[in-house]
Amino acid sequence: MKRLLFFAVLSLVVMGLLAACGPKTEKELVINSYMSDQAPKETFQKVVDEFQKQNAAIKVTVNTTAHEQFKTLLGSWLTSKDAPDVVTWFAGYRMQAFAAKGLLEPIDAVFPGGSFEKEFPAAFKPPASYKGKIYFMPQSWYWWAVYYNKDVFAKLNLTPPKTWDEFLALCERVKKAKLSPIAIGAKDTWTAGGWFDYMDTAVNGGPFHQQLTMGDVSYTDTKVKETFGYIAELSKKGYFIPNATSYSWQEAAKLLFDGKAAMYLMGQFIKDVAPEDKKPVIDFFQFPYVGGRTEYAVDTPTDGFMVPVNAKHKLAAKKFMAFLATKEAQEMFCKPLGRLAANVNVPVPNADAERGLAMVKGASFAAQFYDRDAPEEMAAKGMNAIIDIMATPDKMDDILAALDKERERIYAELK
Amino acid sequence: MDRVGIIKREKVWWVPWAFLALPLLMYLIWVIGPILVSLYYSITFKDSIFYPKGVRVVWLRNFIRLATDPQFYLALKNNLIWLAFFVIVPVPLGLFIAMMFNLEYKGSRLYKTLFYLPMTLSFTVIGTIWAWIYHPDFGALNTFLRLLGFESLGSTPWIGDKRYMTFALVFVGVWRQVPYVMILYLAGLKGVPVELVEAAMIDGARWGQRFRHVVIPLLAPATVVAVTISIIDSLRAFDIIYVMTNTKARAAEVLATYMYSSAFHYQDYGYGSAIAVVQFIITLGFILIYVSNVLRNELQQ
Amino acid sequence: MEQVMVKKQSGKRRRPALVAAFYVLSTLLVAVWLMPLVIALFTSVKSMDELMGNAFMWAPPRKWIWQNFAEVWQRVGMSRYVLNTFIITVPSVLGTLFVSSLAAFALAFYQFRLNRTLLIMFIAGMLIPFQMLMIPVFRLSDLVGLRDSYPGVILFHVAFQLGFCTFFLRNFMKQIPYALMEAPRMDGASDFLIYRRVILPLSISSMAALGVLEFTWIWNDLLWSLVLLQRDVLKPVTLGLANMQGEFISNYNMTAAGSIIAAAAPLLVFLVFQRFFISGLTVGAVKG
Repeated sequence: MKRLLFFAVLSLVVMGLLAACGPKTEKELVINSYMSDQAPKETFQKVVDEFQKQNAAIKVTVNTTAHEQFKTLLGSWLTSKDAPDVVTWFAGYRMQAFAAKGLLEPIDAVFPGGSFEKEFPAAFKPPASYKGKIYFMPQSWYWWAVYYNKDVFAKLNLTPPKTWDEFLALCERVKKAKLSPIAIGAKDTWTAGGWFDYMDTAVNGGPFHQQLTMGDVSYTDTKVKETFGYIAELSKKGYFIPNATSYSWQEAAKLLFDGKAAMYLMGQFIKDVAPEDKKPVIDFFQFPYVGGRTEYAVDTPTDGFMVPVNAKHKLAAKKFMAFLATKEAQEMFCKPLGRLAANVNVPVPNADAERGLAMVKGASFAAQFYDRDAPEEMAAKGMNAIIDIMATPDKMDDILAALDKERERIYAELK
Repeated sequence: MDRVGIIKREKVWWVPWAFLALPLLMYLIWVIGPILVSLYYSITFKDSIFYPKGVRVVWLRNFIRLATDPQFYLALKNNLIWLAFFVIVPVPLGLFIAMMFNLEYKGSRLYKTLFYLPMTLSFTVIGTIWAWIYHPDFGALNTFLRLLGFESLGSTPWIGDKRYMTFALVFVGVWRQVPYVMILYLAGLKGVPVELVEAAMIDGARWGQRFRHVVIPLLAPATVVAVTISIIDSLRAFDIIYVMTNTKARAAEVLATYMYSSAFHYQDYGYGSAIAVVQFIITLGFILIYVSNVLRNELQQ
Repeated sequence: MEQVMVKKQSGKRRRPALVAAFYVLSTLLVAVWLMPLVIALFTSVKSMDELMGNAFMWAPPRKWIWQNFAEVWQRVGMSRYVLNTFIITVPSVLGTLFVSSLAAFALAFYQFRLNRTLLIMFIAGMLIPFQMLMIPVFRLSDLVGLRDSYPGVILFHVAFQLGFCTFFLRNFMKQIPYALMEAPRMDGASDFLIYRRVILPLSISSMAALGVLEFTWIWNDLLWSLVLLQRDVLKPVTLGLANMQGEFISNYNMTAAGSIIAAAAPLLVFLVFQRFFISGLTVGAVKG
């Protein structure tokens, strides 16, 4: 018996030792990425391979984790003893929260020419910085717009609306034709986030919306209620698909592809899931102007990279970041995927992207996205509230009052 | 008959401890340790466990907030619904199926194997497919109901409507739990010594009595495990709800999903840990009641 | 149990009505229970275009694209993931069965003051929702340097499963008659020898069942592999499947195909070990 015990403990100790002292190369680079989709993953690997070629002395490893799980673990990775050297993430509040805790490494120097603005748009600087230092390297971004089915429009003799009134009239025509005007996959609550961003900036302007996401405006404010009033109106008139909460965003997109729904406020990646024969049928137009405004705002969620402060190989990490910031590396990644690169010197990949870029350039204000601009809890509860208002528009005041209580608590805790 | 082996040896008191040394050591380090740390997190502030500057302790603040949180009570209520269904349905059904498949008919082994399959698939796939079955407009269930003529029933949004959500999800949970219980009982049935049953038969006891007085007690270990596990699994339910509601459970919220959302979506690990502690205490309560009962019965025999 | 029934039936002729009832009921039960798995199969052979083109996602496929399985195996790397999962699961199952049988033996056959408390403690470890232990376990393995390694994951699984396995085995061990222990002891056998030569062989059936359950459970574990493993080369099938979920886009067909491949191993284990815990035709003739 004692013999057994001895051997058991011994084997445990041996295993532990073996595990603890593995070979630890000096020149190594560990990248944790959430690009789990096949195409971006393979394209990114090509970029990494190119870097590896140019830097044979550094051994580069890419570890891929699906998005949802990545978000769960990122906090732990950043505070780990063995933090990865580079991680993918998004710009905006979600990144700044980590910077505020002192978990990120400033990377001002990695940009070409030594300064951000030389090759990157000035508008991207605020969501990539915190207290004057830059912590985030933008790589690619996309836009949101109202995607529509050209066949449905043609059949009903419709043209993309420019103003809200035209939009409403169009919805009515679609409804009369026994089709759903607006598809929305409310099972994925972030689809509502898009509606909130675009509606609020259309009604109250970009800067006001920014104040809201920063927590400085109450959700019971009359201006906010006005925004929700517009959304509630769409719901009351039955313009959203029935049973929206039973559809994931992808399942709702099918209704658009099949011509059962006419429009879908969605990100540019909706085309990635369209069946081949339906791709040319889907196009987009800019969110309509509300109340005579002539300025408009857009959501431009931006993906990129950060360096944890606990990274073991900071020199290699910064070298990699500098490489990623170059026009060549950005083009290498964005072109095959049809995405817009952050580096302004990268040519636009296709005609669609050109229109998208033009739309973004004409905007007076660009936000990241509701759940990237606001603290996660606020955004989660806010999006739930939007969906509740869509389901029961008459309860709007109560829902907003409850939401505002949450806002007070959440932002108070942040201080 | 003395089925319980009791060894009392004052001189060699250390023998059981020698056997327990390794398991206890591992368990304390990897399980009890983390549980205690989790308890500690429940008295910290939000995500301060990630502040390099230091953790902020707020003592019972998280628990006080929990006491007035309507979502918490909703989650608790849903868990009790899960508990009720998990104890009432899978255990008798699993036993019935195990006994039926144990009959000496050709093909019974195939049936057992097929029935075991639901346990082998990952939750992600199970969740996705059941969501397709439950879909109000195009789902398999509603299509079937409409075919049978139940028009209104066949348009119910089973996981879209807060009135039905939890029940629809519990059904999936039970669907997966029954094969599990079946396996437990299959093992239990194998361990039933034939001699005992035969002896009862020779006594002339009727089939029903024989079942109640001989078979059921002999299946006791399997039953205890089955009921305990069902209690624990129902109060700990997470994966099905998480996958089928795209992580935003709300009306179908249970303690485990609320804890997960709080910690990993709202970045409030303190609050999430507090929910976990409460859930732990509640589950422990149920288990203590049940297991104490069982232990008492064991001693009586 | 089944011998009883057989005996009963050998007394009278097997009524055809009963036989028919058995087959009808069993088939119905299995058919209804397996419907979701059939849909999984349908999904795995469809193309994404067909899935996205038909509103009835559960319908039988128009075209059976078996290449999906090949693609998942090679391009997505299922082959590597399956190997990794074996490397993790087999030692974990063996380890936890062994270690828990030690504890179960102690708790089942010895009376000492802390017996009941320890049993409750082992059970208590199962009660806490796992997700809450993610960060403490992460930090523990980080501290010890076992993070991102196979020994780390295996050690963890062995330890973590001890609660349930000890509870399970202890219950079944309690069924073993004390008389079987008395004789060897009077012959002077050490307790460990009794454990090894008497109790373990008698526990084969419960350990086999437990082994199958544990194999299935650890094989399908996502959470702990996620927490404890970082490098792609170490990841098991569950993480591989999870990684098929993109930020926005779900490849339902690939995930289904991958899941079916992943389900093969627990199924195989079940088939191989079932004879140990399922009474079969081998269990004797009618005793006369």
